[in-house]
Amino acid sequence: MKYLVMECHPGYAVVLDEEGRFLKAANRQYQVGQTVTEIIEMEAPQPAKNSKRWLYSLTALAACLMVMVTAVFQVAQAPFASVYMSINPEVRIDVNRRDVVVGLEGVNPDGQDLTQGYDFRQKDLDLVMDELVDRAIDMGYLYDGGQISLTLDAGDQEWVVTHSETLSAHLSQHLSGKLSATILVNGQTAQPTQVVIPVAPEESDYGMSDYGQAPPVTRPSEEGEDSDYEDREESDDLDDSPYEEEDGQTDYEEPDDSGYEEDEDDRDSDYEEDD
Amino acid sequence: MEREHKIIQRVYEAKEDNRKADDLIRDYIPFIRSEASKCIGRVCTEQDDAYSIAMIAFHEAILGYAKGRGAFLPYAAVIIRSRIIDFLRKEARHQGDISLYEESGEDGQSILDRLADQQDHFEQTALRDATRQEIQELSAVMAEFGVSFSDVADHSPKQERTLAACGAAVRYAAENQDLLEELLRTKKLPLARLAAGSGAERKTLERHRKYVLAMLLIQTNGYEIIRGHLKRVLNRKGGMAG
Repeated sequence: MKYLVMECHPGYAVVLDEEGRFLKAANRQYQVGQTVTEIIEMEAPQPAKNSKRWLYSLTALAACLMVMVTAVFQVAQAPFASVYMSINPEVRIDVNRRDVVVGLEGVNPDGQDLTQGYDFRQKDLDLVMDELVDRAIDMGYLYDGGQISLTLDAGDQEWVVTHSETLSAHLSQHLSGKLSATILVNGQTAQPTQVVIPVAPEESDYGMSDYGQAPPVTRPSEEGEDSDYEDREESDDLDDSPYEEEDGQTDYEEPDDSGYEEDEDDRDSDYEEDD
Repeated sequence: MEREHKIIQRVYEAKEDNRKADDLIRDYIPFIRSEASKCIGRVCTEQDDAYSIAMIAFHEAILGYAKGRGAFLPYAAVIIRSRIIDFLRKEARHQGDISLYEESGEDGQSILDRLADQQDHFEQTALRDATRQEIQELSAVMAEFGVSFSDVADHSPKQERTLAACGAAVRYAAENQDLLEELLRTKKLPLARLAAGSGAERKTLERHRKYVLAMLLIQTNGYEIIRGHLKRVLNRKGGMAG
């Protein structure tokens, strides 16, 4: 291929090839009008990627924002506690941390009837309870002298304690002037309360229980003699509890003729003795 | 910092204006020569290919630079180094091979030229002078249209299909001299007639308007040497695509 040099610049030369292309090439001391056979063509500059980089950053930021918003929304919508309100209809009201109702369900058929067509979204717990009580009155479920039972279920004991008082007071205030009803509040926590009593390692734990100091256990034949827990373990079967047999297995795992139902009364009686 | 800002400002101006690009390159010839010398490991003279490549690499750096790519001079240095290294590798691959087109001797003639014809040196010089004169005349006419060869090179078709479409339009104009006369008289490119007569898409011709203009001007009287160089284009039959 032959190239005709058309224009010369310090940085490059414009050449015309035989196919009719005008090209920019390295100016190897060319002169206008010269015909050359080999050129070093200019490479097209690559466009800056700045705009795309901004786009990627923006997309990543938007994605992060979306994830955060979704997470916050999910946390806001997650049930934190439940209030079971029982008149005759029983309903379960789920609330989030801000006491905004996020779920409402009728537990029994009357409860389903009471909640049917009721919109609880974006309403506070107090308002939902008021409106459900009003609906119960209108539908004839709650009458003068009736009873409203509230059961609070939450993982946070503090929430149960505070709301036991406030919900009861609020309902009383709401019903005053309309009718008189008994309001009962029962608190539940997801985890049972556990009290740990520290015990010194050298002391025997025999006789210590959550119920306080147990009275000394004595056999009828050895009455009046000192006895401790170790002696009791090594001795013959002093405990006539039906839960444990000689081989250490409980009646729950191997029910037999002298099974759980028959021995339950005996166990209760033993339990009372320990107290 | 202020010096760097000034360079960047000049670079952005040079992107738009070829004359300013030339001025910027002239001002930085010591820097360009220094970078080229570092690459080849000796003092780089104007006769070295590395010098020419470094100069065009600096021009590429001007065109490709953006503020997000850091300071301009380190960026230009990287471009220069990579271009020279590419060239040296390519040369190393062809070391020992002799091209028929390779220029040899002081007159710059290729071996093929020497073998093919033993033209008179004075005849060659006269031909070159005549060609230069034609090109200068063409450049002057193009200037009346506000177009330079650099502009034409920037708008020259890259793809074969586009080149063929533009070539068809040029051949159509060469066969219809009234089109060329209209061009010279009105100073306007008769794109509609060109598109209708050649079958090329008007949009394609519009996109390469400056290139088509230069090629049509070459078809007017007085540019026989250049037309002789382009005989492949003008003698081509068919092969047009939109």
